[in-house]
Amino acid sequence: MHRVKLAAAFFCASAAIAVAEDKPGTVKTDLYTVTDGYKVDANTMKGFRTWRAAACDRCHGANQEGLVGPSLINSLKILTKDEFKATVTEGRLEKGMVAFKTSQQVMDNLDNLYAYLKGRSDGAITRTKVEELKE
Amino acid sequence: MKCTYKQVVVSLALATAPLAAFANADVEKLTADPKNWAMQAGDMYNQRYSKLKQVNDSNVNKLQVAWMFSTGVLRGHEGSPLVIGDMMYIHSPFPNKVFAMDLNTNKIVWKYEPKQDPAVIPQMCCDTVNRGLAYGEGKVVLQQADSTLVALDAKTGKVVWSVKNGDPKLGAVNTNAPHIFKDKVITGISGGEWGVRGFVAAYNLKDGKMAWKGYSTGPDEEMLIDPNTTTTWADGKVQPVGANSSLKTWKEDQWKIGGGTTWGWYSYDKALNLMYYGTGNPSTWNPAQRPGDNKWSMTIFARDVDTGKAKWVYQMTPYDEWDFDGINEMILADINVKGKPTKALVHFDRNGFGYTLDRTNGALLVAEKYDPKVNWATHVDMKSGRPQVVAKYSTAQNGPDVNTKGVCPAALGSKDQQPAAYSPDTKLFYVPTNHVCMDYEPFAVEYTAGQPYVGATLSMYPAPGSHGGMGNFIAWDAGAGKIVYSIPEKFSVWSGALATAGNLVFYGTLEGYLKAIRKSDGKELWKFKTPSGIIGNVFTYEHKGKQYVGVYSGIGGWAGIGMAAGLEKDTDGLGAVGGYRELNQYTDLGGSLTVFAIPGGN
Repeated sequence: MHRVKLAAAFFCASAAIAVAEDKPGTVKTDLYTVTDGYKVDANTMKGFRTWRAAACDRCHGANQEGLVGPSLINSLKILTKDEFKATVTEGRLEKGMVAFKTSQQVMDNLDNLYAYLKGRSDGAITRTKVEELKE
Repeated sequence: MKCTYKQVVVSLALATAPLAAFANADVEKLTADPKNWAMQAGDMYNQRYSKLKQVNDSNVNKLQVAWMFSTGVLRGHEGSPLVIGDMMYIHSPFPNKVFAMDLNTNKIVWKYEPKQDPAVIPQMCCDTVNRGLAYGEGKVVLQQADSTLVALDAKTGKVVWSVKNGDPKLGAVNTNAPHIFKDKVITGISGGEWGVRGFVAAYNLKDGKMAWKGYSTGPDEEMLIDPNTTTTWADGKVQPVGANSSLKTWKEDQWKIGGGTTWGWYSYDKALNLMYYGTGNPSTWNPAQRPGDNKWSMTIFARDVDTGKAKWVYQMTPYDEWDFDGINEMILADINVKGKPTKALVHFDRNGFGYTLDRTNGALLVAEKYDPKVNWATHVDMKSGRPQVVAKYSTAQNGPDVNTKGVCPAALGSKDQQPAAYSPDTKLFYVPTNHVCMDYEPFAVEYTAGQPYVGATLSMYPAPGSHGGMGNFIAWDAGAGKIVYSIPEKFSVWSGALATAGNLVFYGTLEGYLKAIRKSDGKELWKFKTPSGIIGNVFTYEHKGKQYVGVYSGIGGWAGIGMAAGLEKDTDGLGAVGGYRELNQYTDLGGSLTVFAIPGGN
């Protein structure tokens, strides 16, 4: 049942971001699905794992609120998805942002990383540490 | 024999004959004169003590700003300038500028600014600090961020020689100060969070040619360890380490990307011809990926300065599970340990234990907590030398993807690199400390060359159930392993201390205060608010008959503002009073040197 809903969400990824409340406590957009603020779909979960593995928290803070690097809660309200991807891939060396193009995990998960961080920025994902939505 | 050798070197230092081959004599002569501040720690023993006493406990309240200087860089400013005669050599964080200033005129005689690939900036995440310069034989030696080690002509700033010490593309960058011992420039490497394999290397001061290189991990010959003559403390005695002492403590080839970096302050005992330093954490921060003791990460090394050969080793935190880097400085002092006169080595480890060893052979004499909140181990077993880990705080026993809560100290350690001072007058150590605990959740990571390789998520907060602050400044009796006095501080004390013959100890705070306390009892006598938070080390010198005290201010990095934003919301309730968040109410980025003196003639 849930799996069908998730698949539908991803098939219409080209549509404008539509936030829907299926059932109480669930937020669903064409990027991510989150329940109770921390149970997320499989791809968003991969985005979280990528965030963690790439040690983004060392510069952007444990809660994405900024540290030596800027707050991603704010940045993701401004950057387009393409700009986000370009920044992660090529870095912003003068500002201290790593170029992640040689990291297979980050390159394979750019969309998932975006979904996770966008969910955090939108306020739909309310905790840094998320769990995978169980059936 | 030792005495004879010492006499020879001293007589050479005093002789007027050419000393080219004995740079040690030059540096030794310069550091013997308290008017100079000729090494980062003031001397080769890492004591950070000055015999100057014009500024003392009776007049320090009259101390005022004499002059200030901006480096033009807004990042964390660690280390201190050097003063050699009429010249001061000032450094900055990345891009690692060097200014040579004539103290008679405050005029910049020359300036050096290397061209470095900006790709090293992210690799120094999260701060582009540099801990300062070394001086010897008319050369100023700079260890650049991109790992280039460069010797400049002290008169002109022209490059005399330049060597590459590591590969920054793999995360091998530098933050440490180079050290000149004898005729060698000794330097290390950073990058424990990038899977860099740590080493210490010696280059000839004369021409920059590498003399030796000793790794922290791996095959015996690459560590310059002799299985039969290199010793360690085990079973209550000093004994040979045996063959493959490192290799057999790692899973497969993990040691090749296993850290053990070397970015601290080194010391040197001329009589023993030994240099001392500590190695950092094993990589990754996820212990599940590297079962074993991970030797010789987290280790005190004593090496022969001529050959690099390891005389002895002592591992403080076998199988690290908390990022308790062992790089903090080794302070050499001749003190009474449990009533017995001892050539001691004193080390305040990140793991929260203050260690006193016999520096001649590495025998363990004292290991006691220098912050009573330390809880990850009950004690160090004096026979085996091993900490007795508390299961509840073992991130390895709790396993990956489990958040181990309430570990004290945090990964910052009860003390990080901020160096302590020793006063031969009181025989006590004056230690800037952190009073911070953490939650630590390890997780599996894959190694990619040149990419971050961390493997744990951390959350840090003030030590619960204490005074609510995140630091203490303590006086420590290393012979007994006891705190003599402890001054609570609102934030971590991330500034190197200075002890003087004027019954004073100076240190800086993250809010930006430079403070002077009475050495004998810790009473605060004076403080001054500098432009930014202080993570630099206090230094002193005398010029034209007047004593000056100086310090960099310029907050940054792990200690700095950033941590405020990193606090987990759910830890705010632990009596944290907002923790580092409040730092924003006191300071912002900066980059300046403030120099103080007592106004008027002498």
